[in-house]
Amino acid sequence: MREAFIHTKDLCYAYTDENGTRQPVLRGITLDIARGEYVAVLGHNGSGKSTFAKLLNMIIEPESGELVVAGKNLTSEELTEEDFYALRREVGMVFQNPDNQLVATIVEEDVAFGPENLGVPPKEIRARVDAALATVGMTEYARHEPHRLSGGQKQRVAIAGILVMEPTCIILDEATAMLDPAGRKEVIETVEALNREKGITVISITHHMNEAARAERVIVIDDGVVIMDGTPREVFSEPKKLMLAGLDVPQCTSLVHALRAEGVALDGDPVTAEECAELICRALEV
Amino acid sequence: MKNIAFGQYYPARSPLHTMDARMKVVLSVLYIVAAFLCKSAPAYAALLASAVVLLLLSRIPPRIVLRSLRPLFFIMIFTALLNLFFSGGTTVLFSFWRITVYVEGVYSAVFMLVRIVVLIFGTSIFLTYTTTPIELTDAIESLLSPLRILKLPVHEFAMMMSIALRFIPTLMEETSKIMNAQKARGVDFSSGGLIKRAKALVPILIPLIVSSFRRADELAMAMECRCYRGGKGRTKMTVPKLSVLDFVALAFMVAFGGTLLYLNGFRFGL
Amino acid sequence: MAVLSLDHVSYTYGEGTPFEIKALDDVSLTVREGSVTGIIGHTGSGKSTMVQLFNGLERPMQGRVLLDGQDIWTEPKKMREIRFRVGLVMQYPEYQLFEETVGADIAFGPRNIGLDEEEVARRVAEAATLVGLPKDLLDRSPFELSGGEKRRAAIAGIMAMKPEILVLDEPAAGLDPRGRDIILNAIRSYGKHTGATVIIVSHSMEDMAAYCDDIVVMAHAKVALSGTRDEVFANAEALTAVGLDVPQITRLALLLRARGVDIPDGIYTVEAATRALRKLFGKGRTV
Repeated sequence: MREAFIHTKDLCYAYTDENGTRQPVLRGITLDIARGEYVAVLGHNGSGKSTFAKLLNMIIEPESGELVVAGKNLTSEELTEEDFYALRREVGMVFQNPDNQLVATIVEEDVAFGPENLGVPPKEIRARVDAALATVGMTEYARHEPHRLSGGQKQRVAIAGILVMEPTCIILDEATAMLDPAGRKEVIETVEALNREKGITVISITHHMNEAARAERVIVIDDGVVIMDGTPREVFSEPKKLMLAGLDVPQCTSLVHALRAEGVALDGDPVTAEECAELICRALEV
Repeated sequence: MKNIAFGQYYPARSPLHTMDARMKVVLSVLYIVAAFLCKSAPAYAALLASAVVLLLLSRIPPRIVLRSLRPLFFIMIFTALLNLFFSGGTTVLFSFWRITVYVEGVYSAVFMLVRIVVLIFGTSIFLTYTTTPIELTDAIESLLSPLRILKLPVHEFAMMMSIALRFIPTLMEETSKIMNAQKARGVDFSSGGLIKRAKALVPILIPLIVSSFRRADELAMAMECRCYRGGKGRTKMTVPKLSVLDFVALAFMVAFGGTLLYLNGFRFGL
Repeated sequence: MAVLSLDHVSYTYGEGTPFEIKALDDVSLTVREGSVTGIIGHTGSGKSTMVQLFNGLERPMQGRVLLDGQDIWTEPKKMREIRFRVGLVMQYPEYQLFEETVGADIAFGPRNIGLDEEEVARRVAEAATLVGLPKDLLDRSPFELSGGEKRRAAIAGIMAMKPEILVLDEPAAGLDPRGRDIILNAIRSYGKHTGATVIIVSHSMEDMAAYCDDIVVMAHAKVALSGTRDEVFANAEALTAVGLDVPQITRLALLLRARGVDIPDGIYTVEAATRALRKLFGKGRTV
């Protein structure tokens, strides 16, 4: 069992609308995320998945419940300003709109923004920026203007801007929603490499099944509660439940379910096309 | 739309690119002063020559710098014509109807034109083509930092400038997208009277303002997530450092000013 | 109804500058009347430029854009009328909402056409029903709606103009599966309801497979492949060759064929794959 990095218990969040009525968004989230895990949080728009992400680095504050991140109890009273900065240094966030998170007019200056805020010495910033740009494969664009980059490239710059703060966890808050398939792939492969090679905890908030299928663990949030939590295979083996939560199922999973419903004996719940081909070939004995 | 010549940074390797931005700000102020010191034809000739030298030093294709003159073309012609027709003088060149053109008028029109061109050339080469907006805002922040004693928000001002620079291309692109979307709904921007045209702007401005607020909101959140807390305790990746080159350039600029003053001693048409 | 076609159209951005990009290179195509046609390709394949050529927001540098055989640029002064006939929904159209109420925003286009208020009201109601916006939302401010509802309101604003050809650039971008299905179904039913031709630009092959009759594949500023959905998916290898993601089920079919399973060409829906495999399993020993 890996050490728990994030621990929540009965975590609730609500806002008050213009008529003064309380609108609950999260209604008791209890879960643990281990250090180094790669988790996808699935849910339709308005399910509360994005709110959950924003709670994790205290962009918004929980209404009630328990929230522990990196050993720090965020729901206890005595949090100093320094605690917030420490948390945000440790838990970086990539947002949906690539245009609205880049501050500077030159790529490397933007990447430097975080450590500059933290007061890191100039020489070290330089070294960290170069390393971060190399990690996300954007070195050759270091002196470019962000507005000339593609969506996927902008998001990689945003990831570099978080890497320079040497975080232990990266949250992608629907960071691929506005990208084309090529851009989506760039971003996903970048964070997967960070998870694999640097052991960075990745929490990807998304509604793309194909992205979720690549994670180690999938958490499905619907109407402010966790309705499913397991490996992609476990989660996708219940297509009806997913459909009810307004989500898709990978086509191969649906196919196997449809064949099984017609009496074809297939065991296993494939998620990828390769797994499914393997399963069918085995069953057909070719 | 992505290629607006908004006096944008042109990456190249040149002495002007490597100079300290603070020195470039100082030099461009001195250069403006120098341009106004000119009084004689030889001085103006020297001024024009200096602009050409600057252009060569910067290693920027002349075509690109010339493009920055285009938006000001009308103002330049207008100013030149004003000088041509309304300067008094002694030597009449020709006259027709109620207008008399003096030789001095021709001179002053040409001088005015040279001054404007050189001012635009000089400041844009120093400040925008060879200096990144970040370097520029950092330089202004650094030069204004003594004002902090007076409790002026110098850092905030510089940050605001650099964010504005960052978002100008984004918002221009957005404006053209919204315009196209409304054109597709039958808005006509090019016909009708003044009131009708002003009304046609409403469907552009409202979405633009709404989206700017949304962007501002998201950007603020992203900045907070990256530990932004104003200028307090902040460091910079690139620390500006004055080098020998900067002082040499300063010396040349002072010498150039002196030369101009000296050349002022020569009369017209020498 | 009307037929839209491109005749040897070329378009280049930033001609003569270092940033020169060829967006369309001698493209000719005709969109079948009354069809739902999908245009697919990578970002930068020229599909977004094509959309703006269709309703005269951009002018081709070479070639002609033909509406019912007429060059739309013969009388540029009458372009407004062309735009009422070829309705365009841009990417992220919710950013164009500006009126005080959703109803007024949907009515904006029809009012610009110069229709009387009675007709405008009828069309607003009709369009709102098509996209599934409840009546009580029409009196609300568009800025109070959810993301998906805003998108539907913006699309209704174009539908209410009753264009003979409805063009949509990435209508489902950024929406979750439920939101995407609502919008794509509404678009299809607009076509059925009015007999109009519908053109959908997208980079989702799965959406194309589910919603389009004809498909045009763009790559490197040219048409790489076009035809009916069956014809295009029968060429699945060609799709992967231009670097497009084919639907997962099509990829599965390709994998199975490569391993010697006798599965037919042109599989792009789960239903078709189920049927084909059911037959294979039925032949041998199963269950």
